[in-house]
Amino acid sequence: MKVTSIQTLLATWGGLLLLLALTTASAYVHLGLGNLLLNLGIAAIKVALIAAIFMHLVRSSVTVRLAASAALFFLFILAFLFFGDWLTRPSNPAPWRAPPSDAR
Amino acid sequence: MSAPAAHFETPQNRREAAELGIWVFLATELMFFGPLFLAYAAARLSYPEGFAEASRHTDVVIGTANTAVLLTSSLFMALASRSAQLGRRRAASLLLFITALLGTAFLVLKAMEYFDEWQQHLVPWLDFRFEPGLAHPASLFYLLYFAMTGLHAIHLTIGIVLVLVFAWRLRSHSPASMRLQIENGGLYWHFVDAMWVFLYPLLYLVERA
Amino acid sequence: MSAEPSRAFHPESYLHGGDTFVSWLTTRDHKRIALLYMISITGFFFLGGAAATIIRLELLTPNADLVDADTYNELFTAHGIIMVWFFLIPSIPATLGNFLIPLMIGAREVAFPRLNLASWYLYTLGGLFVLGTLIAGGVDTGWTFYAPLSTLFSHSHVELAVAGVFIVGFSSILTGLNFIVTVHRLRAPGMTWFRLPLFVWANYATSIILVLATPVLAMTLLLIVFERVTGIGVFDPALGGDPLLFQHLFWFYSHPAVYIMVLPAMGVASEIIPCFARKPIFGYRTMAYAILGIGMIGFLVWGHHMFVSGQSMYASVVFSLLSFLVAIPSAIKVFNWTATLYKGSILFASPMLYALGFVGLFTIGGLTGLFLAATALDVHLTDTYFVIAHFHYIMVGGTVMAYLGGLHFWWPKIVGRVYPETWARIAAITIFVGFNLTFFPQYLLGVLGMPRRYHVYAPEYQLLNEFSSTGAGILAVGYLLPLIYLIWAMLRGAQAPDNPWQATGLEWQTPSPPPQENFEETPRVSGEPYAYETPERNA
Repeated sequence: MKVTSIQTLLATWGGLLLLLALTTASAYVHLGLGNLLLNLGIAAIKVALIAAIFMHLVRSSVTVRLAASAALFFLFILAFLFFGDWLTRPSNPAPWRAPPSDAR
Repeated sequence: MSAPAAHFETPQNRREAAELGIWVFLATELMFFGPLFLAYAAARLSYPEGFAEASRHTDVVIGTANTAVLLTSSLFMALASRSAQLGRRRAASLLLFITALLGTAFLVLKAMEYFDEWQQHLVPWLDFRFEPGLAHPASLFYLLYFAMTGLHAIHLTIGIVLVLVFAWRLRSHSPASMRLQIENGGLYWHFVDAMWVFLYPLLYLVERA
Repeated sequence: MSAEPSRAFHPESYLHGGDTFVSWLTTRDHKRIALLYMISITGFFFLGGAAATIIRLELLTPNADLVDADTYNELFTAHGIIMVWFFLIPSIPATLGNFLIPLMIGAREVAFPRLNLASWYLYTLGGLFVLGTLIAGGVDTGWTFYAPLSTLFSHSHVELAVAGVFIVGFSSILTGLNFIVTVHRLRAPGMTWFRLPLFVWANYATSIILVLATPVLAMTLLLIVFERVTGIGVFDPALGGDPLLFQHLFWFYSHPAVYIMVLPAMGVASEIIPCFARKPIFGYRTMAYAILGIGMIGFLVWGHHMFVSGQSMYASVVFSLLSFLVAIPSAIKVFNWTATLYKGSILFASPMLYALGFVGLFTIGGLTGLFLAATALDVHLTDTYFVIAHFHYIMVGGTVMAYLGGLHFWWPKIVGRVYPETWARIAAITIFVGFNLTFFPQYLLGVLGMPRRYHVYAPEYQLLNEFSSTGAGILAVGYLLPLIYLIWAMLRGAQAPDNPWQATGLEWQTPSPPPQENFEETPRVSGEPYAYETPERNA
């Protein structure tokens, strides 16, 4: 059973705080859609760091890694097929229940 | 859970079962949060301006500080796991205590934030007030905001209790016998942290520029 | 953990030693928990059945002469909620699965015995909420809780019912989690993945669906309650929400839930058919892959419940195509069962009658599912009795038949006593006849356009409805018979041998009923599953 070294843990923590600073700073630069993508990309990297090092997925068995990724996969399916509908759906609100005026 | 259960052939077998069990549990947790993220995405795509404006009303200073607090707590949790693995009782106990302290600090900051939001009439079901024209989407944003952060806070509270129990039990139990619990409790802690890592940009940083 | 169960073999069965009420309610023995579950789900089965009986009585005539519209709504909602979440979903996994999976893989226990017990308590708590809902006056939204009906319009006890379903969901999750870890980590030496009985494969795939789909339902129901309580919501269009989001989330759980119900049933059939055909199962590996395939594709097809909901037609086309794909692994299974029977030495014992009934009824239910997966045809058939007939063929004809078949097959193992075979055959045939008489006319009613969920109907539908209600009466008798003679067998039946059917599988190599720790010593597995030898016959 290997133990993660203190250096690795500290470096991971440093990296996480750095990424936090980056994502916060970037939010104050107007990038349009780029802001969202950057935010989500950085969050994904942070979570990957946490999962790989803090949750030591790097040295877990294949079964455990599969269990860890299964939910991501099925959430992706949920989102993919939902937005497949949502983005191509005609909007036909009933006249007596019109959505708020500031809808898309 | 102190003595190895008789139905496991070896301690190794038991460790692997517990590790897989906690990961499957975390997978269900992720699926549990999933619909909130989906609802958020759909609502944000429907009302981009409303969500941007509502997000600008959140307290980004506390939010950012809290993210840093939580990331640091994860470091201490990982260090505590490490100490438990190495059989260092005092270090593990201390590190767990710091972890719980940081978690509590997060909750205190979060409570202050909630209080401010209540005073600013940002709680959707308690006399909600917002710029005319954007009130509706903003109320949706704040509904999701309270649902997501509230759910996160509940999880964190459970985590703090767990960690404190581990620290307490380390006084009478050997680190070797506590190792499995601390490691798996740590996985849960890191998971709660990871959820926040996604909540932070989605709730606080929609359109700050 | 106080008393460590000793590893030495002691001949006492799991039913003896600790006969007190408390010892049963605090047991961590997977076999006892299976029995606790069996008692609970039987209670709910007959409660849900009672609701169905009143429904069928009301539908004997076109007019409302037994119940009014509101009561009728509450009846079919109660029937749906109870049957889906409190009977069908836990039925095979939590009873037969709990009892058999550790035995079949040569383990002493499930991986987390205490979670297993907690699962039953959560089930009971959820059940109390649902009983509370019924006592308080019921809920009228249908088991689907569609928003905004459930959030804005319904004045019935939605919160209570939702709380019950929410809680029972966690009991499913715990069962699923336990099975996954048990199958991964507690297989006996030599019990490789491709030596697992198909019943274990089926429950494994079911468990994956349970742990991944159920939490989505839980959160969706929570959002419903939020919306009701706060008046702000993500579902109601008047509040700026998206009602189809609810349907997507709901069916993301509830369609795979169909496979939670039917996959274990397939597992049961795959155990019974080789045993009573005295042949190894045909195409073992394809059967295992088909189970995984159904589990996987089952997650991709939920949109076929929403063809007329206002969903994008492009999404409908994709969901339709994906739905047709489920037919492939399902057909593989039906063909393989049939091929197993081919040139087998078939014995029509009662479990086999149920299993054969399962295969036939599942096939009809599955094939009529294709009608509903076709977008154009679905516009005509949606929300008619055709849909009712279709899913009852899958859930009652499929799951309940297989559950009863499994109960008969393993009853000697579970209680250590033999049931009266003649009565069992009479019951099997009664159920088969009653079932078809109840539900086949509903296909015709659906094609003729009779809508579901109404307590009154046009007079021209009466004849077929009378057939259906008569069938329901026969079906009710058929279900009461096993209840009587299986309990009788438990108390008075003759001693059962360890392996009454000369079946393969580790569960038959231990005494009936099994000892507390299942096996005298951990079994070692060296051979393939289903090693049945066909008696020589000269061609």
